[in-house]
Amino acid sequence: MSRETMTRTERVDAAIRLEKPDRVPVVPLLSAEAAGTLSGATMAQVSNDSQILFNSILKVFDDYGGWDAMHGGVWRPIHVQATGTHPMKIRIPGVDLPDDYVFQLVEEPIMQLEDYDKICQMGFDNFYYDDYLWRISSLTQDSLSDALEDVMIWGMKFLPEMAKRDVGMWVAATGMHPFFHLSLMRSLITFTEDLYYRPEIVEKTLKRMTADLIPKQIAMAKALGHNRWLLTEERASAYTYPLSVFERFWWPYTQEIVEAFWSEGIVTVFHIDTPWDKNLPYFKRLPKGSYVVSLDSTTDIFAAKQLLRGHGAIYGDVSASLLTIGSPADVEAYVKRLIDEVGDDGGFILGQGCNLPSNIKPENFRAMLDTCKTYEFSKK
Amino acid sequence: MSQELAMALVELNRDKAMELVRSRAEKGEDPLGILAECRDGMTIVGERFQAGDYYLAELLLSGEIFKAAIAFLEPYLAKVLPAKPLGKVVLATVRGDIHDLGKNILSVLLKAQGFEVHDLGVDVAPAKIVETVKEVQPGFVGFSALITTSFPAMKETAQMLVEAGLRDKVKLMVGGGVTTPALKDYVGADFQTIDATAGVSYCLQNVEGR
Repeated sequence: MSRETMTRTERVDAAIRLEKPDRVPVVPLLSAEAAGTLSGATMAQVSNDSQILFNSILKVFDDYGGWDAMHGGVWRPIHVQATGTHPMKIRIPGVDLPDDYVFQLVEEPIMQLEDYDKICQMGFDNFYYDDYLWRISSLTQDSLSDALEDVMIWGMKFLPEMAKRDVGMWVAATGMHPFFHLSLMRSLITFTEDLYYRPEIVEKTLKRMTADLIPKQIAMAKALGHNRWLLTEERASAYTYPLSVFERFWWPYTQEIVEAFWSEGIVTVFHIDTPWDKNLPYFKRLPKGSYVVSLDSTTDIFAAKQLLRGHGAIYGDVSASLLTIGSPADVEAYVKRLIDEVGDDGGFILGQGCNLPSNIKPENFRAMLDTCKTYEFSKK
Repeated sequence: MSQELAMALVELNRDKAMELVRSRAEKGEDPLGILAECRDGMTIVGERFQAGDYYLAELLLSGEIFKAAIAFLEPYLAKVLPAKPLGKVVLATVRGDIHDLGKNILSVLLKAQGFEVHDLGVDVAPAKIVETVKEVQPGFVGFSALITTSFPAMKETAQMLVEAGLRDKVKLMVGGGVTTPALKDYVGADFQTIDATAGVSYCLQNVEGR
């Protein structure tokens, strides 16, 4: 049996460059909830106590023998509101949900029609922090400062622990696609009405938000010294909208964003949930190697590989359902298939679909990691 | 017979559809006939969705028009004998999950086809579902999920239906973006889908007397 010949970072970087590493890298997105489950902490603890969440993440990494890049970090529910990552009302275990529930987002049309003009005039960040945040959150100015400081403090504490373990971050900066951001703030139905009945104001706002996002996130990625950033979109695929909507309201902004980052040497890692089968051909218009698509198991990852082979890297897609109710043998079989058919010539990073679920079976998580780390070597 | 109203709904022409509903109701036309034409429109939308010509967006928007039409027609419908529902469906997002988007879409589509829908909401305890099934005696029970945390409670509810002697009397459906065929087996359900229109088709195919 052969052995590993690359460091974790070399392995991940090679896959991103569409090369074939010594083996397929495995990079699970360790949510706070899964970290809690796998380390024995309650959902309330990991949702409300940064120290416990920090300890949980490191414990899971150590207990399961580690993996190739750290995806996720000390992000508690209040952090996602404070940073604007999820601009929605939230329900937090131990606060307004039972201790054993997972943190959940509430879909409500909080953003009003007139707010489109406000965003265009004020810019997104000013709108968010001067106006919108206070409609969705119990944060005060003081507790907002504390929450933002908490994000930085725990991020800084995380780095030396990762260095000790010889593991790098999967991505540094993270952002929501402007289209997805608006959909979350307006709610899916109301935003869809806007797209069909009031398209001009949506278009104008997307332009402004894209112009705001690009310099901000490029500066963030550079400040963090990382050449990958995460762009999340869960609602723009041809499951939800026809390609005419995608072509008008999503693709041009996406192309502008990816090309701007790529011109700075930064790869865009798309976290794209729901079926993207009809949309993926558009990604071939992006510069080769400028992106990674992370699929959630509802897109046909095997067809995606045939389409994007040699052009863009693929991440995914052991489903939440399989990790929750499947057996270790089921997980092992699926991971082997992914490695054989999607990772055969490189350009593939193995992970879960979307996010590791909170009720993941520990034995399934171990099967996912161990199979990826050993399968290719066992064949040689 | 003109299908102008149905087509306004299919074309997502909200203003035209509502104007037609309003003017026809105010002229004294049978509200059940108006409702039937709205349903025809929803049926065409569902067919186009299943053919891949329409997307979730069209389901959502036509559903919103349908809901507005029903709301407008309500006082008119109250004056006529209630039409016998095609069947009864109990829907819930089961304990552990508070999301309801998919469930709400299915609810509107089922109502559009003439089903009586008892929507128990989100984060519903298994005992509450069983109690409602006893009371309502539906032909169908549907569980919706966006996240995996409600899977154990779905299974628990299905088992409680068995223990209460109710399981054989209903078709049990599970649906939502995170569901897979394996969940059907895990829960012991009869049907699984991530597509609300497929759920409606399943109910139509299995409704008693068809």
